Amino acid sequence: MSDRSATAAVLSAAALRYRIGDALLLDGVDIELYPGELVGLIGPNGAGKSTLLRNLIGYLRPTEGTVTLEGKPIQSYSARDRAKRISYLSQYGPDQFPFPVIDVVEMGSYPVVGMGRAPGVREREAAMRALSYVGLERLADRSFPSLSGGERQLALFARILVQESPIILLDEPTASLDIGHEATLLQMVRDLCEEGYSAIVALHNLNIAAEYCRRLVLMDGGRVRAAGPPDQVLIGELIETSYHTSVHVGRNDSTGSITVSPVPTGGAARDLRVHVIGGAGGGVNISRFLHRTGCTLSGGVAHELDSDARLWKALAVPYVQVPAFSEIGEQDVARAAALVDAADLTVLCAFPFGTGNAANLDLAERAGRLLILDEESGGCPRDFFGDEEALRARFDRLAARHGVHPYRDACRLIEETLKEATSHEDP
Amino acid sequence: MLPARRRATVAFGLAAGLVVSFSAALAFGAVTLPIGSVVRVLLRVVAPGGIDPAELDAPMRRVYAILYHIRLPRAVAALFAGLALAVSGAAVQGLFRNPMASPDILGISAGSSLGAVLAIVSGLVVLHPLAVPGASFLGALAAASFVYTIAARRGGTHLIYVILAGLAVSSLLSGLVSAVLVFSEEYALSQFIFWTMGGLEGRTWANVTAPIPFILVLSVVLMFHANPLNLLSLGEEQAHSLGVRVEAIKVSVLVISSMLTAMAIAIAGPIAFIGLMVPHLVRMVTGPNHRTLLPFSALAGAIFLLGSDLVARLLFAPHEIKTGIVTAVIGGPYFIFLIIRYQRRGSV
Repeated sequence: MSDRSATAAVLSAAALRYRIGDALLLDGVDIELYPGELVGLIGPNGAGKSTLLRNLIGYLRPTEGTVTLEGKPIQSYSARDRAKRISYLSQYGPDQFPFPVIDVVEMGSYPVVGMGRAPGVREREAAMRALSYVGLERLADRSFPSLSGGERQLALFARILVQESPIILLDEPTASLDIGHEATLLQMVRDLCEEGYSAIVALHNLNIAAEYCRRLVLMDGGRVRAAGPPDQVLIGELIETSYHTSVHVGRNDSTGSITVSPVPTGGAARDLRVHVIGGAGGGVNISRFLHRTGCTLSGGVAHELDSDARLWKALAVPYVQVPAFSEIGEQDVARAAALVDAADLTVLCAFPFGTGNAANLDLAERAGRLLILDEESGGCPRDFFGDEEALRARFDRLAARHGVHPYRDACRLIEETLKEATSHEDP
Repeated sequence: MLPARRRATVAFGLAAGLVVSFSAALAFGAVTLPIGSVVRVLLRVVAPGGIDPAELDAPMRRVYAILYHIRLPRAVAALFAGLALAVSGAAVQGLFRNPMASPDILGISAGSSLGAVLAIVSGLVVLHPLAVPGASFLGALAAASFVYTIAARRGGTHLIYVILAGLAVSSLLSGLVSAVLVFSEEYALSQFIFWTMGGLEGRTWANVTAPIPFILVLSVVLMFHANPLNLLSLGEEQAHSLGVRVEAIKVSVLVISSMLTAMAIAIAGPIAFIGLMVPHLVRMVTGPNHRTLLPFSALAGAIFLLGSDLVARLLFAPHEIKTGIVTAVIGGPYFIFLIIRYQRRGSV
């Protein structure tokens, strides 16, 4: 950001190492928080996010390295002076004792009140204001352990508001919130940052992180793997190697933010190659099913804007597509034919045939083993246009030879084939 | 926090309960004293210039003798032992965030037993009336320091290590107690067993005058830990982030609670269940906020021990049973009731 050189970081850590016994939980972490910033701290479980936050509030003492709060080492502050500058939220609330919610929120006034004195009217009013700000004023007198997980997190966040420290560290504040409350809470944090607060928020939901944080820090194995704007951190390869799962990185059509979605795989990949001849969305369900069950999938030929083609792209499987509304050319057929020849099984989905995609019938005819789905399966009628009678006759010949299956039967057949394939491999 | 009116009602009720139970402890016993003469003698005891028993007529002199030399020190002992046990129990439960915790976790009972048995077997008991209380007090403190030294380490005390060290030290010390008893005479054995029951019979001013100022001061200091104890219920990290010096609070609550409990044992022997039960009852009525829980527990603990001692004296009058038996007989079933209640609610 451009204003970084002009202002000093309010909170920073340099070359932070934290060791418990033989385990190195933080391995040389550098992080800075600038005034007004909302930084998203992301990374898989065990990456060291919580350990880092606990070092940043001075609860854990780093084995090596320093934490600097407003220009001075954090350990040089008295406990209450530190608490007036930096607040912290974990997912833990008083579960053992039935404190009323309002008492829990009021605990945020301790840095001002201290040991000897009971919080007074002013503290109580501040707690009520914070509670109504997060929308829980009707629960003020309920006992904290009786709240739902989401209400607890909002009540604990209200406690942060009462504390009024300019630096806020939140450890997975949205872990048990529904998407509505998750967005509301992060919007509140963002509003605070616009008023001059600064925040570091550890988040699991990468989409929310991309949506609300202008800077992300990706941690893995106790180190910072990447830091910067979302489009420089949420890169498929970085995310996949950190989280050890395949993901699809896209963009939210309405906000333009980066989106990350996991791409499920069916556990152990199994050795069954299936080619899907789809179009007009008729191949979406069966493609998802095949991907889920762990088949090696290929697709084509579909038109570019068909949802079939978009799904294959998202799943990153080999597929052939042609531009929307154009006719399938010879080259495309040749590429698709290679996929069909390599497949153990070809699925012909239900979609309308016309001059543009007649080549898909050629593909179906060359398949060794063909499974034809009935019209009910894709929500798309199998109509014939153009050279209608010739196309229908060719399809009927295929149908007579291979039969036409409802979607469920087809899934069952594929699962049986998978089982056979697996039992042949195992002995 | 409770509504102020409810809080005031409970405070008034406890204060009245304390006055009533204290008066009853003075008036009733093997001989019932008329409450009027009890009050008259008391007023003259506390009046400036004190009282000269020689000036009293014969019946009043008898009242004075029973009151001043027997019942008053005994009631005062019950009041302060009960107060100390209950307030330290409440604080330790808050510190461990566990309603089942008690200062006993620090090996205090076993330590005080070893102290007492050594004083009895060595014969110190016949040399000075305060030998057993003094030895049990020192034993309790030694055990607590030993446990804390094992559990503490650089960078923080994990409470789970305190519990484990407490278990280990307790069983070690109990083993030593048994070993000493094996080689002791029969009269020492029965004397020790009577001591372990806990009781207030035969307490004199010598038993109570030394510990009272300490119990008062330490209880008040402990009550000043109410806010940090509340915050610790959020977990140590969040308490730290709110400005609580977590390590310092842990040490000071453990040290103060151990000293209070050790003094209570020195006064009344190992009285069971008060530290566990009384804070529980108070929490049910007034909630878990330590700003009310600590002072109310102190009052309720005093009332409870005064009442238990009265029952012990009156149940089979003119014979009396050990006070510790009464608290255990009330406490055991109460604890069973708690277990069932928690099982029904599905949480401890």
